[in-house]
Amino acid sequence: MDLAIRDIRQHLGRFVATVVGIGLLFAIVLSMNGIYQGFVFEGLSLINITNPDLWVVERNRGGPINEQSLFPEFFHYSVSAIPGVEKASPFIIYPVERHIAGQSRRFTIIGYDVFTGMGGPKNLVAGRPITQAHYEAVAHQKLGLDLGQNFRLGLHTYTVVGLTKEGTSPDGEPLLYLSLPDAQEVIWLPDNEEVRNQRLRFYQSLVRSGFFSPQEAEKYLSRSAIDTHKVNAVLVRLAPGAQAREVAQRIKDYLYLSVFTTPEQIDIMFKGRLDRPRMQLFLFRTLLLIVCVVIIAMVIFTLTLEKIRSIAVMKLIGAPNRVIVRLIMEQSLLLTACSYLIGWIIIHNTYQGWPRLVLLTPGDDLTTLGLALAGGIIASLLGIWKALKTPPALALGEQ
Amino acid sequence: MAVVLEVEDLHKTYGSGRLAVEALKGIDLKVNAGDLVALLGPSGSGKTTLLLCISLILEPSGGKIQLDGEILWDHGWCEMDIRQVRLTKVGFIFQARNLIPFLTALENVLLPLDLLGLERNEAHRRAMELLKYMEIDERAHYLPALMSGGEQQRVAIARALATSPKLVLADEPTGALDSVRGMKVMEMLKKIARENQTAVICVTHDERMIEGFDYIYRLKDGQIMLDT
Repeated sequence: MDLAIRDIRQHLGRFVATVVGIGLLFAIVLSMNGIYQGFVFEGLSLINITNPDLWVVERNRGGPINEQSLFPEFFHYSVSAIPGVEKASPFIIYPVERHIAGQSRRFTIIGYDVFTGMGGPKNLVAGRPITQAHYEAVAHQKLGLDLGQNFRLGLHTYTVVGLTKEGTSPDGEPLLYLSLPDAQEVIWLPDNEEVRNQRLRFYQSLVRSGFFSPQEAEKYLSRSAIDTHKVNAVLVRLAPGAQAREVAQRIKDYLYLSVFTTPEQIDIMFKGRLDRPRMQLFLFRTLLLIVCVVIIAMVIFTLTLEKIRSIAVMKLIGAPNRVIVRLIMEQSLLLTACSYLIGWIIIHNTYQGWPRLVLLTPGDDLTTLGLALAGGIIASLLGIWKALKTPPALALGEQ
Repeated sequence: MAVVLEVEDLHKTYGSGRLAVEALKGIDLKVNAGDLVALLGPSGSGKTTLLLCISLILEPSGGKIQLDGEILWDHGWCEMDIRQVRLTKVGFIFQARNLIPFLTALENVLLPLDLLGLERNEAHRRAMELLKYMEIDERAHYLPALMSGGEQQRVAIARALATSPKLVLADEPTGALDSVRGMKVMEMLKKIARENQTAVICVTHDERMIEGFDYIYRLKDGQIMLDT
């Protein structure tokens, strides 16, 4: 006879209410799992999609994703000349917030050499890659642009020629792929007013120095042109048979730049930008799980106290301890499993509506279920201890 | 007639030293199969303590208890599985009925049979038989909360008899019932003793209820006396 089920049947309303309450907590635990996985996935997605053999960045910087890195574009010619390098391609990654199609949107601009293809979008869901040097864009679907749509960005109008849904910036923002010169212009070219101001400042400083007449200063104004020929990284594809470590060392020695392989970039992200938020999320979901276990323990303990006289009667009529232990533990496990199921149903039906990626994995779901059931067993211990301590004489009103 | 219960020089002391209270002072009692024994006495005289000691729910301080030919307790020695003894040889009936509230009448009677490991259909047949015997079979699927006090007590008696015990210990079984229902319960106990040859020891305050009992003992200050 299954005593646990029969007891639950008697208190079905309360059991269901408790299951829904704890189920909501489990939904949060599972969502935290998904947020954690989504956070890591998004944090690494650009690295994984780009996936060059080597990332060449500014000296002593862990860039270009974990930290800012900036150096002149021409370095990619020098990198190309290093033995063992088959191809070196300039690369820009830059988060911005701009007005697009009448709305202010946060996104990350990826600028790449559209003719070598390195650093560009991998799998398009619609359209084609960028094939012209200017005024074409490939947009992430989350940006809300349609294929063929024209939009104004900076000084020019761009056309969406392709759509992708692969990858986001480490902050979860959608990507906008542009050709390298377009990206450089959008990011680093100041507007006309700022250019005029800079030229005026340069002119005045020349004249005030006393070494130049106003006419001579006018001639030098062209030297103050804004330099947009900067990149955040150079992506390297190795020649067949070349050793990444050796090539990286040559680049470090000769070009005074830092070099990382893709696994090293991932490691840098894990230890850097992702580390603390990751720990925070881990701690938060651990605490939530503990809260669930404590609540289940309290509920089970209360349920045990309510039937303590019945337990005494069972002992009096000769029920062995295992029957009583099973009654309490089974209730605890049922409460845990049903609550988990409610939480699972809630999160699996809502995660797509969350503002950032919630990545639910069967592995995480199973691990959480395992931990929850282990927690359910632990939660029942207090009730079991109380039940086993109950003297059978309690059934007769004796203590 | 076979001796079911034999108690010799049973002592029970609560506490120790100057605070010690001697609840039972050398009780001797012999009960045969089918005997109806009433234990009378004022509150605090040791009636319930005696029942608890006989069933080893309370550990006696001294003496010897023999149940169904086997030594249950001998001056501190106990080599039997007490829970098994309680399950198979002793039935309990309480004043407060003490039915398990989340089990139906039928399930309450099934519980000891289930604990005994009886096959499901056989256990069901036996439980229904007992409920019918107690004239409560039409309430078999009711929860205790939906039954009257008298009905609950009859279910409790059916549960006590489920494993065909040699001895039934009843602690104030009519205490919470009106006189009509109390009488009916007592009639049931007499029926059990006569028809099943089950020894019944019944603690009661109400002398009107013990008409027809074979032996009436009075307990006073921890000592027992046969009422002649």
